[in-house]
Amino acid sequence: MKNPNSGRFLLVEVILLFFGFFILARIFRIQHSAEAKALLEGSGPLTLRTFYPARGEILDRDGHLLAGNKIVYEIGVSIASLEKNNNAETIALASSYYLGTDYQTVFDCLTHPASNQTFIVLSNFASPDVKQKFEDLKIASENKPGNQTLAGLEFTPRTMRSYPEGSLASNVIGFVTQEGFGYYGVEEKFNSLLAGTTINAWISMDPNKPDLPDIPPGATLVLTLNRELQAVVEEILDNALQNTGAESGTIIVIQPKTGEVLAMVTTPRMNLNEYWRVSEIFPGETPFNRAITQAYEPGSVFKVLTMASALDAGAVRPEDTYFDNGLNLYGGVPIYNWNNTAWGLQDMTGCLQHSINTCLVHVADLLGKENFYSYMKKFGIGHTTGIDLAGEASGRLRLPDGGDWHQVDLATNAFGQGVSVTPIQMAMAASAIANDGNMMYPHLVRAIIQDGRQQNINPQVIGMPISTATAHTLNEMLSTSLEQESSNALVPGYRVSGKTGTAQIPVPGVGYDSTSTNASFVGWGPVDDPQFLVYVWLERPTSSIWGSEVAAPLFKQIVEKFVVLMGIPPDNIRLQKAPP
Amino acid sequence: MNTKTISNYIQKYRQAPWRTQLQWLIVFVLGLVVAGMIAGLYESVSARAAVVGREVRSLNIAISDGERVNADQESQLAELMSAQRMRERAHALGFEPMEPDNIIYVPVSGYTLQAVTTITARTTLPSMAITPPEYTQSLFEWFVARIQASPSAIGDRP
Repeated sequence: MKNPNSGRFLLVEVILLFFGFFILARIFRIQHSAEAKALLEGSGPLTLRTFYPARGEILDRDGHLLAGNKIVYEIGVSIASLEKNNNAETIALASSYYLGTDYQTVFDCLTHPASNQTFIVLSNFASPDVKQKFEDLKIASENKPGNQTLAGLEFTPRTMRSYPEGSLASNVIGFVTQEGFGYYGVEEKFNSLLAGTTINAWISMDPNKPDLPDIPPGATLVLTLNRELQAVVEEILDNALQNTGAESGTIIVIQPKTGEVLAMVTTPRMNLNEYWRVSEIFPGETPFNRAITQAYEPGSVFKVLTMASALDAGAVRPEDTYFDNGLNLYGGVPIYNWNNTAWGLQDMTGCLQHSINTCLVHVADLLGKENFYSYMKKFGIGHTTGIDLAGEASGRLRLPDGGDWHQVDLATNAFGQGVSVTPIQMAMAASAIANDGNMMYPHLVRAIIQDGRQQNINPQVIGMPISTATAHTLNEMLSTSLEQESSNALVPGYRVSGKTGTAQIPVPGVGYDSTSTNASFVGWGPVDDPQFLVYVWLERPTSSIWGSEVAAPLFKQIVEKFVVLMGIPPDNIRLQKAPP
Repeated sequence: MNTKTISNYIQKYRQAPWRTQLQWLIVFVLGLVVAGMIAGLYESVSARAAVVGREVRSLNIAISDGERVNADQESQLAELMSAQRMRERAHALGFEPMEPDNIIYVPVSGYTLQAVTTITARTTLPSMAITPPEYTQSLFEWFVARIQASPSAIGDRP
């Protein structure tokens, strides 16, 4: 019997068959579509990509941004697009116009790429303005023939280091190059921390696969610097260089109780946003940061260390006297005073007040070479301080057990000759006298912010070279000596301690340059509760060669600004008891 | 009852072959429809998951772009408020730097300076897996996960 529905069955079968073929055809089409081909020819289903985290910021102690990031664009074109559009000439022309590149060079690069090259970068760090110009031109040329367009030009955003303060604290901060590596200062010292961790990850085109890796940004550093103080000190130093004719200058302001560097100023400085000018601004051997890199013979400021050591060892007492006849023959070598005069009978305060070389030679002799050099080592002379900046120098201290030490070195070292120190070393050593004998670790990083947590850097005592009693005694002696000589460093309303220094400059093979000096001053205050320590160094001043005339006034200027910025009232008000 | 009668009964009650074929066909089509429905459901869920996955990626890229823009604007703001600019603006507004003599200090009982300032304590998002698995799992993966999550043996019940 014939099935009456066979026709219907056949129809259903045909429909099902057609449906099946349709599915197969659809699968085939998807697998061989232009999109699938592009996917396979391009990056493929899995692409290995490198993710660079945003570089951490650098802030001053009050949160002002010293180093941040700004948007720039990578502008490039794929080889496939160039072959498709044949627009190398147009792109090379636009590149030469907007990026200032050489037309022929770019054209050759675009038309003769390397065999394995798939993408050509025209600019790595184009500004948003330049990128916008390219984009406008690209849009404007869309309707033109393919070879007259900028089709295929790609703009990839990325971040680049930005320094909103320009040259402020440039010697401390350092800079970051286009390659993302930090040079000098905290940028180099903390490069790994700031840069974060670069991640290489296989990125799948499958949206069901895990997301793009979450890349934590680099750590943010909070510096101990006070932006306002840094700016003020830079201005004071710049004016001083102009007025004194000094070749260079360095000023460090630290908190002696914590070792925090509040300002570190030196010359020359550079706009960190133009880091490529570094070799032009710092030609030859010019140090990037003299405060930590350039060791020099400090001269008489070193006498505070000699006196501190002798007082602490009990070799001398403040009331001990010395008769100065202007000459001290030590080991057969004549030692004269800075002005070649005799000061007669002086106590130890007088020796410091008049900065009598012969007296300090006598003091060092009483102390003995073993004690003297032992104390110098305790003060950190001849060693790096470990400050958290890249490129610190250690200075030089010849020791009796070394082959190059001579008997006369004890005498010259006693008044700061024949020994070289960096300004930061001297500031650190002097901080022990200001801070009850405790020598604090000088540092510039106050806190590190990472993963949403702030880790504060606690002050560290790195030694106690002298006792508290010695520190107080010397503090008083230095304060009195400043007052008695009516020093240019005295600050009305505030009792300060300090010492000037005028050092001849050694010339290899010649001896000492008799025409130029290094003028220095180290001072701190208020004497009863030191809140600041200022170290000033002017190299080869011409208006006057004396530290008391060119460096001491800078101390006064800085302290007058400092007490306003930091809100430190004059002694008579500060020592008042607040009403109940 | 003879054999012929029995054959007649069988003949009468036996279904016609086309009816049997039709039944099989209906069963087959029903199976096909059910399979199609499951496949359709799977396809729909997978497609939605894929779309959401792409959206998540787009949003992540948008977040990255936003962070870059934030950093850029933060730098621009810092530049506008740099020490030099602020000093120039203050000077233009007629302000002068304070000198020690201009300040009047008033002792305040119990006032102490703040020792250490906390600049910021930003909270960060979890480092990974910010997209719930519902948005990335396939139906099959979800089904397997549910089976694995269910109590596996007697006595495992809470």
